[in-house]
Amino acid sequence: MTPILESKAVSKHYGVYKALQDVSLQFFENEIVAIVGPNGAGKTTFVNVLTGLLKPTHGEVTFHGKSIAGVGPVKLAKLGMARAFQLVQIFPQLSVQETIIAAVISQRNLQYNFWSSVDSQAELTERALEVAAIFNLDKKMTRQASYLSQGEKKLLDIASAFALSPEVILLDEPTSGISTSEKRGIMDTLMTAAKLAGIKTMLLVEHDMELVAEYSTRIVALAEGKLLADLPPNEFFNDPELQANIIGKRVNHA
Amino acid sequence: MTLKFKLIIVFCLALLCSTPWILSPYYMTLLLPAVAYSIILLGFNLLFGYTGLLSFGHAMYVALGAYTVAILTSRVGIKSMELNILGAALVCFLISIPIGLLCVRYVRIFFGMLTLAFGMLFHSILFKFYDLTGGDSGIKVIRPNLFGVDLSQMDKTNFLIGPFFYYSIGLMVILAFVMWRIVHSPLGLHLQSIRDNPRKAEYLGVKVHRFRLIAFVISAVYGGIGGALLVVPVGLADPELAYWTQSGNIVFMTIFGGFNNFFGPIIGAFAFIGLKDQIVSQTQYWRLVLGLVLILLVVFLPGGIMGLFKTKKTAARSQEIS
Amino acid sequence: MTAFIDIVLSGIFHAAVLFLLAGGLQLVFGVQKIVNLSCGAFYALGAYFGITFVNFSIQQGASPSYLLALILLAGTLIGLVGPLIERLLRLVYQREEGFQLLLTFAIMLVLEDLIRMIWGATPMTLGNISMVYGKLNFASTTLPVYKALVIGSSILLALALGWMLQRTNFGRIVRATAENRRMSEALGVNGVWINVAIFTLGTMLGTLGGALVVPTSAASLDMISEVVVEAFAVVVIGGLGSMRGALVGALIVGLLRAFAVYAYAELEFLLIYLIVILVLIIKPSGLYGKAAE
Repeated sequence: MTPILESKAVSKHYGVYKALQDVSLQFFENEIVAIVGPNGAGKTTFVNVLTGLLKPTHGEVTFHGKSIAGVGPVKLAKLGMARAFQLVQIFPQLSVQETIIAAVISQRNLQYNFWSSVDSQAELTERALEVAAIFNLDKKMTRQASYLSQGEKKLLDIASAFALSPEVILLDEPTSGISTSEKRGIMDTLMTAAKLAGIKTMLLVEHDMELVAEYSTRIVALAEGKLLADLPPNEFFNDPELQANIIGKRVNHA
Repeated sequence: MTLKFKLIIVFCLALLCSTPWILSPYYMTLLLPAVAYSIILLGFNLLFGYTGLLSFGHAMYVALGAYTVAILTSRVGIKSMELNILGAALVCFLISIPIGLLCVRYVRIFFGMLTLAFGMLFHSILFKFYDLTGGDSGIKVIRPNLFGVDLSQMDKTNFLIGPFFYYSIGLMVILAFVMWRIVHSPLGLHLQSIRDNPRKAEYLGVKVHRFRLIAFVISAVYGGIGGALLVVPVGLADPELAYWTQSGNIVFMTIFGGFNNFFGPIIGAFAFIGLKDQIVSQTQYWRLVLGLVLILLVVFLPGGIMGLFKTKKTAARSQEIS
Repeated sequence: MTAFIDIVLSGIFHAAVLFLLAGGLQLVFGVQKIVNLSCGAFYALGAYFGITFVNFSIQQGASPSYLLALILLAGTLIGLVGPLIERLLRLVYQREEGFQLLLTFAIMLVLEDLIRMIWGATPMTLGNISMVYGKLNFASTTLPVYKALVIGSSILLALALGWMLQRTNFGRIVRATAENRRMSEALGVNGVWINVAIFTLGTMLGTLGGALVVPTSAASLDMISEVVVEAFAVVVIGGLGSMRGALVGALIVGLLRAFAVYAYAELEFLLIYLIVILVLIIKPSGLYGKAAE
C-alpha cells in the first residue's frame, strides 16, 4: 500500500540547532494518527514541514508521491490537505454560512466568479449546510462568527477546513481551550465528521493522552527532534520506557 | 435584496434625477462632484471596507483619470466621452498592476506608506515635468461629446445640469450595479475573508496576494473613471488632485458614510460635499470644523452614517445568542 | 568645490532640523505604535510661535544675540500642547491603526486652522535677525553662524536623547515599553504616564525643529503638509521606531535634497520618493528598524 503522506529522512536545522533529525514516517488511508511529545520536541516544526509551511533542510516530504516541500497553505489546500490550528481562527465579520462557503468556493474553484451572488448558488449554500450539520452548526448559519461561543468557534474553524473536502486533515490540539467535559463531545463530532466528509487520514497533535488512547489508531512520539516511537495505542501504553518518557512528563495534565 | 430596499433605491434615484427642477444651479453643481466621488469611493471601499487594505495614495488614480481625459481631449483631440472614460480606466488599470503587485505584499502601515509614497511620487511627476503635465498650471479639459453628440455650443451651466448630470448618474448606477455584483460574488466573499483573517484565508485556499491585487486594480479603475467625471465640470486637471491630503479626504469621506456598508461610500460622498459646502459658506475655518467632525466620527461613530442604522441589525444578529 | 561644500552644509543643516522632527515621530511610533500625521502641524506651531516669541522678547528689550536661546525656549514652551493632544489621542489607543491615522489627520486639520486663526494665512519671517551671529568663513565658502549653532544644537539634543534612552531609568523604561508594552505594564510601569511623557517629548522635538529653522526660512501653512512627507521619508529609510535611523535617515534625505535642488531641480522630491519606494521594497524595515511582519 502506498502512503498518502510521507516524510523521508526529514531534518530541519536552524544554524547549529537541530529542530528535527532524520524523521521518516509514512501515513496511510484510514488512519487516525496522534502526534505526541513534550514541548520543544519538534512536533510543531515537524507538522509545519509536513504541511509544506517549512522546507526541510534535508529529506523529502511527499503527498501521493509528489514533493510538497514548502508549497505553502494555498497550494496545500488545493492539493487536498487541510489544517486547523490550536488558536481558534475565524472570520469575525462573516457568518457561519459565509465562512464555510469560502472554503467550498476554493474547493470548487469558483473564486474568480465576480458576478453571481453567493446566496443564489445552491451548490454553495447546500454544501455549506451539509457541512455545518455535521458540526451541529446548521441552526446558526446566519450567525456572525464573532458572536459564537468559544466551542462553536472551534467547531466552525474545523468545519471550514473539512469543507475543503481534503483527503488529509491535520489538527493542532483540537481540544485545547475546551473544558474537559466537552472534550469527548468534540472528539466524537470530529470522528463522525471525518467519516461523513470522506477524510482518508487524520493527524492530530495532542497533549491529552487519555483522548489519544481512546481515539487514535496509531501514536507517533517525537522527542528532541527525533522519532521516539511509532506504535498502535495498546503497545504504546504498555511500554514502560515510553510511559516514563512521555506519560511521565504528562503527570499534571488534567 | 428585499423589495423594500429596491423601492428605497428607486426613490432616491428618482429624487436625484428630479433635482434640476428642485434645486438651484448652485446646488446642482455640487451634485456633480458628489456623483463622481460616489464612484471613486465605491472603488476605494472595495479595497478598504471589503478587503481590509487602507491606501493613503488613492488620489493618484483620480488624478490619473483626470489627466488622461485632459490629455485626450485637449492634446490628442479625442472628444468622445466614452472613449475618454475607457482611456482613463485603461490607464489606471495598466498603472495599478505593477504598483499593486508591489504594494499588496505588505500590510497595514507598510501598505499605507507604500501607497502614500507612490501617490506623492506621482504628484511630483505632475508638478515637475512641465512639458508633459503642464506643471502646476495643469492641463485643460475640453468639453467632450456625450454619446457622440457635440454639445460644445451649449451654455456651460445648462450642459452640466442637464445632459452631463444625467450621464454621470447613469454611469454611477451602472458602476454601482457592477460593484454590487462583485461584492456579493464568490470573489467578493474571498476578499472579505482576506480582510477578516488573511492567514486562515490562505489555509482555506484563498490566494491572498492575487486577490488583494484584483481589489487594488478594480479600485484604481473606479478611481480613474470618477476622476474623469470629476474633471469635466472644472475644465482643468491639476496636480493638487494627487496630493496626499486628497487621499486623506477620500478616506475621510468613506468613513463618514460608513465603510461597513455597501451604500456608505455613496452616502459619504454626498454628505461630505454637502456638509463641506455648508461649512465653507459659514466660515473660513472650515478645516477646523471638518477636523472636529472627523474626530467625533473616529471616536464616537466609527461606522459612519450608515453605522447609525447598522447597530440595529447587529443587535438583531447577536440576539440569537441565548 | 565651493558648490559641493555649500551642498553638504546645506544638507547637514536641513538634516539637523529634519532629525528633530523625525526623531519625535520615531519616539511616538516606537513606544505608542502610532504614526503621527499631524507632526507637520507641530513643526509649523514651533515656527510661528518662535517668531512671535522672539519678536515679543526683542520688543521687551532682549538683545538679538539671545536669538538661539529664545528660539530654543519658544520651541520647548509650545511643545507643552503635547499633553492636550495626547489626551485626545488616548481615546483611540485601543483602536485599529487606520483610525489612529485618521485621528492624527483630523488633528492636523484642526491645528492648521488654529494656526491660521492666530497668525493668519500669509507666511511670516524673522527677517535678518539670524545674521546677528555673523558668518563663518569655512573652506572656500561662508556659513551663517546661526546655521552652525542649529546644527550644534541638534547634535546636542541627539546626544542628550541618546544618553537619556541608554543611561537613565526613564530611558530604560521607555525602551522596555517600546519592546513589549504588556510586559512593562505587568512589571508596574505606569502606561498612562509614559504615553504622556513620550508624546510630549515627541511633540517638543517637532516644535523645536520648526522653531530652530524659522530664522533662516519662513513660517507658512504649506509647511504642515509638506514636511510630513519628508519626515515620513526619513522614517522609512531609517527604519520605523529607530532613533539611530532618524539620524541617518535625516542625513540621507537632507543631503539628497540639497544635491537634487542644486543639480536637477525637477528631481527634488521625486528622487526622495523613489528611494523611499526602493527601501520599502528591498528592506521594508529600513536601515535600523525591526523586521516587518
